[in-house]
Amino acid sequence: MRLKLISCEVLFREMCDACAHSQHQVDPEFLPKGLHDLGGKPMAAKIQEVVDRTPEGVYQAILLGYGLCGNGLDGLIARHTPLVLPRAHDCIALLMGSGERHQAYFEENPGTYYRSTGWLERGQGLQQLTHNTMGFDESLEALIGKYGEDNGRYLYEEMTRYRSQYRKLTFIETGLEASGKFISEAAAEAKEKGWSFERLAGDLAWLGRLVDGEWAEAEFVVAQPGQRIAASYDTGVVKVQT
Amino acid sequence: MPDLDKLHQAVIEGDWKAAAAATQAAIAAGVAPLTIVTGCLVPAMDEVGRLFECEEYFVPEMLLSARAMKASMAIVRPLLAAAGTEPVGRVVIGTVKGDLHDIGKNLVASMLEGGGFEVIDLGADVAPERFIEAATTRNANLVALSALLTVTMPSMKTTVDAFQSAGLREKVKIMVGGAPVTQQYADAIGADGYSESAGGAVALARRLAVV
Repeated sequence: MRLKLISCEVLFREMCDACAHSQHQVDPEFLPKGLHDLGGKPMAAKIQEVVDRTPEGVYQAILLGYGLCGNGLDGLIARHTPLVLPRAHDCIALLMGSGERHQAYFEENPGTYYRSTGWLERGQGLQQLTHNTMGFDESLEALIGKYGEDNGRYLYEEMTRYRSQYRKLTFIETGLEASGKFISEAAAEAKEKGWSFERLAGDLAWLGRLVDGEWAEAEFVVAQPGQRIAASYDTGVVKVQT
Repeated sequence: MPDLDKLHQAVIEGDWKAAAAATQAAIAAGVAPLTIVTGCLVPAMDEVGRLFECEEYFVPEMLLSARAMKASMAIVRPLLAAAGTEPVGRVVIGTVKGDLHDIGKNLVASMLEGGGFEVIDLGADVAPERFIEAATTRNANLVALSALLTVTMPSMKTTVDAFQSAGLREKVKIMVGGAPVTQQYADAIGADGYSESAGGAVALARRLAVV
């Protein structure tokens, strides 16, 4: 089969590895992680643009290297080529290898920040697609410069308070870390924020099955031409609408 | 009333010191506390909500306006309580179990307070039992649930179901919101209302409070 992969760049290393080992010919295209900052509908619109400019009759399927991603994949329509999307809430579930494992870990470890190679090397400065309307990644100095000393400090406190609710940083280790820098960076970040640190073994088999064309109903949703992908808000995460 | 114009302007501009000073001045000039709320803070926060909707204001500006409004409310609230003034409604608000992201919820809580509601803010990661307990003991007629993650959205359904099981579903109206939440989801879990924005949440709460 010849397959087109449209993936978030946060999975760059993992997807490159999966494509390299796929029994099929996979043409990957990575989109900026900053799409997430746009919110659900605009993000879906951007991905739809890439789906729509995929040439007709070339690929057996278009693979989506995403999860539901805050409804960023909700509403995506398959035109001439089927769309395949893992039944994952987000990339953390994909890196953990299953939705069940992700859900269980999420419930057992409230207040956990996740890191992976992509989150470390592509996680910073992600405002390239928006004009930073949220202000969440603004430094204290920038906020003071914009809103004055008193209000700037207040905003910084308000916008960073959620961080104090976090207690732990988990680095998902996939074996694709080319050097020890990722783990040491993640550990240093945890230490700086006063959080505990865990290295969790990732599982890339789910991504492997995506690019290998093993799309079991329980793990993937396949939208045929004319069908639409929609959030299902149940254990299936996503569904197909005709 | 020039003092209320100043207060209105201070809330729009997010100047909490000016808001507090204008509130003090209005009270000293004999303006009734309830007039300050309904005649000034409510329309000012409505205007802030409108500015947000048309993308003139963003989250930081809204937070600063809410701060100014709260500075005024801190002066007015004890006077309202002393006079036995009833709020438009009582809202218990929180992010659902498992969800720690509370900026959106905080904004909605501020907007509701500025809209004349008494707000009982339970914070983040709130279990269904805590929503029920607070709604019961504080005699709330509205419950507002927030979620930022699709992973935690099922907790909204669990919370709505818990009110049902406790036999309290008819006593409170439940409204839901948060980035991934939709009207369809609100309908599917049996919530009474959904709003896409903080400003819209106030209008929704007003509608639900009078039903």
